[in-house]
Amino acid sequence: MNDRIIFEDVSKFYGEILGVNRVNLSIPPGITSLVGPNGSGKTTLMNLMTGLVKPSRGRIEVLGYPTDDPENLFKFVGYSTQFDAFPKGLTGFQFIYSYLCLSGMPLQDAERTAWQAIERVTMVDAASRKVAAYSKGMRQRIRLAQALAHNPKVLVLDEPLNGLDPLARSEMIALFRASAAQGCYVIISSHILHEVDVISDQVILLSNGYVVAEGQIQTVRSEIQEHPTQILVRCDRPRELAAKLFESEYTIEASIHNDGRGLLLKTRDADRFYLAMNQLALNGIQIESIAPADDDVLSVYEYLIGNEEVVR
Amino acid sequence: MAVYRRNYRPYSGTLTPPWSRFLVLFRYSRRNLFRSKIQTGFFVLCFFYPLACLVMIYLAHSASFLAKLGLPSQLISIDNMFFFRYMSVQGALAFLMTAFAGPGLISPDLANGALPLYFCRPFSRAEYVLGKSSVLGILLSQITWVPGVILFTIQASFAGTTWTWDNLWIAGSLVVGSLIWIAILSLLAMALSAWVKWRIVAGASLLALMFFGAGFAQAINAVMHTDSGHFVDVAYLTAAVWIGLFKVDAENSITAFPALIALLVYCSICLWLLMRKVRAYEVIR
Repeated sequence: MNDRIIFEDVSKFYGEILGVNRVNLSIPPGITSLVGPNGSGKTTLMNLMTGLVKPSRGRIEVLGYPTDDPENLFKFVGYSTQFDAFPKGLTGFQFIYSYLCLSGMPLQDAERTAWQAIERVTMVDAASRKVAAYSKGMRQRIRLAQALAHNPKVLVLDEPLNGLDPLARSEMIALFRASAAQGCYVIISSHILHEVDVISDQVILLSNGYVVAEGQIQTVRSEIQEHPTQILVRCDRPRELAAKLFESEYTIEASIHNDGRGLLLKTRDADRFYLAMNQLALNGIQIESIAPADDDVLSVYEYLIGNEEVVR
Repeated sequence: MAVYRRNYRPYSGTLTPPWSRFLVLFRYSRRNLFRSKIQTGFFVLCFFYPLACLVMIYLAHSASFLAKLGLPSQLISIDNMFFFRYMSVQGALAFLMTAFAGPGLISPDLANGALPLYFCRPFSRAEYVLGKSSVLGILLSQITWVPGVILFTIQASFAGTTWTWDNLWIAGSLVVGSLIWIAILSLLAMALSAWVKWRIVAGASLLALMFFGAGFAQAINAVMHTDSGHFVDVAYLTAAVWIGLFKVDAENSITAFPALIALLVYCSICLWLLMRKVRAYEVIR
């Protein structure tokens, strides 16, 4: 069995409307976040991954299984859609239980597994109430429970953090991390970029149906040549440090931090810049810390997609 | 959280056979259906006529009882016409039952956007349609051919082997005639349920389709001086098939075979409409 989720030259068109185009991906275990503006193709990518829509072109395999084989695929894939949709009249428990029965679990196993899933999302007290009476956060959690109830190896979650309060959000993030730590594939889409940044092992940035970047966010950042890397240096003599740094060819812009105890620098060659910094540190300037200031998802998103959005 | 104490292990127990999973939908849909007291009451009402038929069969074989009442022993004849009448009454009740129960099968799932939840399971579109149609299929069977075959068996037990062998084809006609009617009703109801998401409107549409279909057929026949207009009248076509199956002498301008072909075409159209609509995601252009 292949241990990756593979997209090979995948395109999806809804008539004349582009869903995603020429997507090539190889997604390893861990938490992978799909990031992009509305209409960029995140949900289409998730629907393709779960076989709910068929690609117009290309091939998709999830851990070696084609996506048009639901009998095998959904034994190890769990999907929570972004839509706040439930069959009518079911309680939280019945919701999980009935879909486990549809997955092929015998009734007793389904009941036991449903309670386990409900416990994982801390919804035991509300499980016997109708889903229609739940708050938005509770509905989100019960949908997550149905996605992970059968202990899937691949968990595909469309906007899973929407509507959750901070406590529930941190519980869910802990749950994603625990799943990833066990070797599962957790694919999430989110607009909450700082959370994506914190939890993701890697990101896939989408814009207008195209994958614009993929991989670990620091690696992606280092490949964006047109935007110099920003580095925040905390030191005791920022002006002196700035003057010395401009003597090297790697620094192209520097500004004193608001509190006067730091320097925000821009460089086109971060590796050489760090070497230069080592030399300066040896020459007597007290440097407290050096940290990249724009290798997070938000910055990468702005560099790669933000401008495009403005143009649109 | 409890999750920290867990280790990943996929479900490793036995699975139910894939063919049986549509029964999960059947169980839930049927339970929802019988939550309505009106529905339950109507279902019970559907057994009144078979009970009356049972009494008639009993009377037909109780010459002494009829004599006591001063009635001729040949008053009630249990033959193909008797079972054709049974089919006509139960068929009409089956239609009313479908108009009541059918529209609520798919439309709530579509209106609530719940279809992706079904299809992100090892569960196909065909199984979904099968699961939903099995609700109507089994419900309508319970009021059409099942009591019909029971009545036939009782009549056979009274009438003896010779009558049974001579009239065994009637039992076949009961089953085949009912199944054709059930198939067309179920598919029409579900196609309407899928395309008209508002349950009440879907029910009304089914009634309209039957009644306006008959009116429209008459209009075509009158204007164009033809009998082909009946091809748009599903009830007329079914009656034509039943007349052929039960070998009844009745006026009908369409014979059984072309009527059956027309019904099959309608079934195919309904299936096509269903499969167009029953998808994980609806593409709105």
